[in-house]
Amino acid sequence: MEPDAQLVELCLRGDGPSWEELVRRHTRRVYNLCYRFTGNAASAEDLSQEVFLRIFRTLRSYQSVHGAFPTWLTSVTRNLLVDHYRRTRRDRVTDSIEDAMPQLEEKHSPMRAPDKLAQAAELSEQLQRGLARLSPELREAVILRDLQGLDYGEIRGVLQVPEGTVKSRINRGRIELARVLDEMGVRPA
Amino acid sequence: MDWNCTRTQEQLSDFLEEALPAAEAAAFSSHAASCADCSKVVAQVRGLMRRIEETPQLEVPAQLERKILDATLGPRQQTAETQGWFGWLQMLWQPRFAMGIVTVAASFVIVFHAAAGDNGRSVLNPLNLLRGANRQVHLTYARGAKMVNNLRVVYEIESRLSAQPESMSEPITPPPARPSNDGQPGQQPPANDPHEKSQTIPHASRHHATELAEMNSQSNFADGSSYPAPRSIL
Repeated sequence: MEPDAQLVELCLRGDGPSWEELVRRHTRRVYNLCYRFTGNAASAEDLSQEVFLRIFRTLRSYQSVHGAFPTWLTSVTRNLLVDHYRRTRRDRVTDSIEDAMPQLEEKHSPMRAPDKLAQAAELSEQLQRGLARLSPELREAVILRDLQGLDYGEIRGVLQVPEGTVKSRINRGRIELARVLDEMGVRPA
Repeated sequence: MDWNCTRTQEQLSDFLEEALPAAEAAAFSSHAASCADCSKVVAQVRGLMRRIEETPQLEVPAQLERKILDATLGPRQQTAETQGWFGWLQMLWQPRFAMGIVTVAASFVIVFHAAAGDNGRSVLNPLNLLRGANRQVHLTYARGAKMVNNLRVVYEIESRLSAQPESMSEPITPPPARPSNDGQPGQQPPANDPHEKSQTIPHASRHHATELAEMNSQSNFADGSSYPAPRSIL
């Protein structure tokens, strides 16, 4: 039995430290997924808490024979993200024009910080801005595949769509993201 | 193999992930090399993939794990190990202890500053500490002694100044006749009759002035110094 599944079993017997270990192992994955999808640190933090609260309440429904714990966790996260996306749709319509402004301003801005850390942060930020301009379907496919490192089978399990659709979305998402970044003035590495 | 732009874009991810059969991969490469649009798309997506690989995972906010555990398991208590090592530190943050710590720290700063002396010598040298402390004790004693002496002088002056005007304003009169023992009220002066006292003050003041001047001139201190006698109106 895989370590996550063992921890889940111990959690179900009421073992607090096992739950702490489970949270410690997967907080980063959940937070990254939430941040990449929403593009907002505060929302990502709130959603991460919501995810683990839901996991905690529904842990009994997880069965290891149906898939790995990270896949199940990602499914729960993704469902909450979809809910969040629908809830905040109206806000985004009003925000979209304001969001576009910095992108236009920074299109021709030269590379500021020479050190690696700053470069990595800038890279991450550029990627985030590009992701925000993808449709939710393509965005989640690219995030799950390229930023979360899930394989096609796992993504199919999370999205509940055929594998051909998964592959198609990932492919289109990558092409679209590359085009968007190019428009933003971000040249290929 | 018939390969066009649409197919190139459809198979792009498979090509980059090396999931295409050899024949298809060769056809893909051949088309991409001859088509400017497809060549550009391939370069863009390849660059994107590299960029994503270089992008680090985001750091989790510091308190997120704790918040999650609080929300699920209830407000967390520290583990026994953490309590054992650092439990006492939390106690120090209580206002009563914090105030005491600040006071003690301030005292140390003052003492070290004073012990450093005028030349800024090392305050941590025990010899300097001892000398500084010794000097401070003697200075404090000397200042205290001087203050007491000055106060004595001031009180003496005050008492004489408050008494003198009365004696100056009224003529010196002979003491009243001793009362008879018939016990008539109002005729027997009190023992501390101000009239009687006012006659003796000038003499007493001269005496005290001399005495105080001598006393001040003798106020030598432990460090060998002596303060000059106060230049009073005496």
